[in-house]
Amino acid sequence: MAVNTIDAKMLSHMFLAGAKNLEVKKEYINELNVFPVPDGDTGTNMTLTIMSAAKEVAALGDTPDLKQLAKAISSGSLRGARGNSGVILSQLFRGFSKVIGEQEMLDIETLSKAMEKAVESAYKAVMKPKEGTILTVAKGISQKAKELENTDDLDSFMEAVIAYGEEVLAKTPEMLPVLKQAGVVDSGGQGLIEVLKGCLMAYRGEEIDLSFDVEATSKAVNVDSLAADTAHIKFGYCTEFIIMLSKTFNIKHEMDFKAFLESIGDSIVVVADDDIVKVHVHTNDPGLAIQRALKYGALSNMKIDNMRLEHQEKLFKEEEKKQAAVKEEPPKDTGFISVSIGEGLNEILTDLGVDVIIEGGQTMNPSTEDILSAIEQVNAKNVFIFPNNKNIILAANQAQSLVEDKNVIVIPTKNIPQGITAIINYVPDLSAEENEQNMLAEICNVKTGQVTYAVRDTVIDEKTIRENDIMGIGDHGILAVGKDIAETTIEMVEEMIGDDEVELISIYYGQDVKEEEAKKVGAEIEKLYSECDVELQFGGQPIYYYVISAE
Amino acid sequence: MKKVAIMTDSNSGITQKQGEEMGITVLPMPFMINEETFFEDISLTQEGFYEKLETGAEISTSQPSPDSVMDLWRGLLKEYEEVVHIPMSSGLSGSCQTALMLSEEEEFAGKVYVVNNQRISVTQRQSVLDAIRLSEEGKTGKEIKEILEGDKFNSSIYIMLDTLYYLKKGGRITPAAAALGTLLKLKPVLQIQGEKLDAFAKARTKNQGKSIMMTAIENDIKSRFGGLAEEGQEPGVRLQIAYTKDLEAARLLKEELAEKFPGYEIHMDPLSLSIACHIGPGALAIAVTKKL
Repeated sequence: MAVNTIDAKMLSHMFLAGAKNLEVKKEYINELNVFPVPDGDTGTNMTLTIMSAAKEVAALGDTPDLKQLAKAISSGSLRGARGNSGVILSQLFRGFSKVIGEQEMLDIETLSKAMEKAVESAYKAVMKPKEGTILTVAKGISQKAKELENTDDLDSFMEAVIAYGEEVLAKTPEMLPVLKQAGVVDSGGQGLIEVLKGCLMAYRGEEIDLSFDVEATSKAVNVDSLAADTAHIKFGYCTEFIIMLSKTFNIKHEMDFKAFLESIGDSIVVVADDDIVKVHVHTNDPGLAIQRALKYGALSNMKIDNMRLEHQEKLFKEEEKKQAAVKEEPPKDTGFISVSIGEGLNEILTDLGVDVIIEGGQTMNPSTEDILSAIEQVNAKNVFIFPNNKNIILAANQAQSLVEDKNVIVIPTKNIPQGITAIINYVPDLSAEENEQNMLAEICNVKTGQVTYAVRDTVIDEKTIRENDIMGIGDHGILAVGKDIAETTIEMVEEMIGDDEVELISIYYGQDVKEEEAKKVGAEIEKLYSECDVELQFGGQPIYYYVISAE
Repeated sequence: MKKVAIMTDSNSGITQKQGEEMGITVLPMPFMINEETFFEDISLTQEGFYEKLETGAEISTSQPSPDSVMDLWRGLLKEYEEVVHIPMSSGLSGSCQTALMLSEEEEFAGKVYVVNNQRISVTQRQSVLDAIRLSEEGKTGKEIKEILEGDKFNSSIYIMLDTLYYLKKGGRITPAAAALGTLLKLKPVLQIQGEKLDAFAKARTKNQGKSIMMTAIENDIKSRFGGLAEEGQEPGVRLQIAYTKDLEAARLLKEELAEKFPGYEIHMDPLSLSIACHIGPGALAIAVTKKL
């Protein structure tokens, strides 16, 4: 029996199922990454993004209305967004939520409108939308939905829409040559399809395990998210009372009573004395505990607290304290935030005047929320952000658009050397706008290359790569592939510089490279480019043996 | 008897020979090198100076002795009615202060005018040229002093250092310069404007540093010196380049500057040694002075 509408409860269930299905397919999606680097993590990023929304949705409980639900999905994913695909996914949700938040009930027509709005919102978020990506898949889905707007069976509508999305996904390699060469479809598009498939399964009432892999998300969530933390509270009311016994309360009664309490809550304490029993339980329905207890006698010292509110209040207070501490001193003119990983690199950036380092990079893309929290910590009128990774720029832009009390400037630095060059070129006497212009001009003059290993076989830029090969990746693709770290690094530098004139080559060696080895590589490069300054520095970054820049 | 004699010190970059040609007097600045006294352009050449600097010799600047200053004045006052003395910036040396004090002695009062207009190197030289012109126009010593001092903020100098080493060694590092960052090799850009010599910006490569200086000069022209000249219009400012040791680099900078500011007058000099000993070889400076 087909129900042709979706209510808030169903949508909430579908959304959680979508999130779950994405999480299940996370690793598979990670492997679709074109570059076989050890940390290609579209799947992880999208999962963390949707998880942030799922937590807010779960916190609404069983009976949300569509307005609340829309808000939870939109704000949760927006703040939790990380990585380009994550940011685009969050924008899809944001557009979608705008439409559904105004409805009482969803039908085919409203769903189609919401999808249209979703696509519109996502395209706007990306400065230069590229076809052959998650955007194209989303657009295809929305177009199909529009086409089927006047049909009347919701189940077959969703099935058809998803099927068409998969068709578009299958064509992404034709639109983006890098995908074709690597023999994969777009990972972000695949992620979107998995979400929708999860939604459909839930709609059909298929059994879905909604227990999420907490491990995967906990390391990323280092910022107090009010809703997210209250969502961890499974049973909302702390219930305490004393039973003044009017009949015997033997060991069997005690066991029965405990078993009952266990069925409705946790954190159970039952202490029986001669004529009183002290009871403590966390439950969502204190009434049940009280009713059962009344069987044994009259009650006294009753105390029921809503722990969710309490917890929120505590978090609010902490937040206020944090903000008060930040606001005590008058703001300085300019502050700097940089994303970075590795002891040496962090130290160099701090030495150059960076106020807050957001730990992360290719391996761990910080979320919009992480960036917002960093902005909050910097007590300055103008805040420059150096994302230092092209997969973090969108999240930084998203954070920037959410801040109103500071002038936030995102310099779209794609790697650490660009970030270093940008901050070095900051001139205190110039305005923020002039500095922005100068930094943008200077970062274009930095060429970079990074050396890591391949996690699987593939073909990129007409180079065949085997698992565990060493790869030198430049600003625009693979520069060198080999078996030896030092040799590949030098080959990469030669490819990177070509016939261009450079003045300075900076080498930052990673945590897995010994100092003597790095010195050898440095000396070799110095020999090759004798007219040039060569500076060797300990970067301490994981996964990347060398990060090298020439300017 | 001729009217006004113009005098400066060797910080102006004007050599003894050039001084003679210009009809002015140049007071040589003394240097202590390994406890021996040398006089700029008299017993110490540019080459000799850098040779000693780079071999790690202890070099310090000192003020000209009051006697040497007063002797020169006395000599000039035999031929001239008045003396206008333009020493290096009072912000960088006490010699201006000393000269001002000496000029108030009965012997010199009303006859010797010490100009305290905070110039150094190429901008100090420009003040000397302005003073010569003003005296030719018949201005008195007092008038020349007033005109030059009224103009004192109309110049700035940016200097890019090849290294922070000498600045640190000399202990002349200001808090702003100390905050420049020490882990990476950086090329600091300093600014001399009015009294202070201080950190302005930093660069990683020479080309970045040059572009920072040119942008700063352009901003100064736009915001402080009446704007850039339209095509065919006479520029309202003069540009100068100064350098320590590396003439080739300075020539290249001159070409680049001429390309960015076509039609502007550009003068080039070695940077005076009293600055050079604090910043070391390989420094490049660009200065701008508003036409008086």
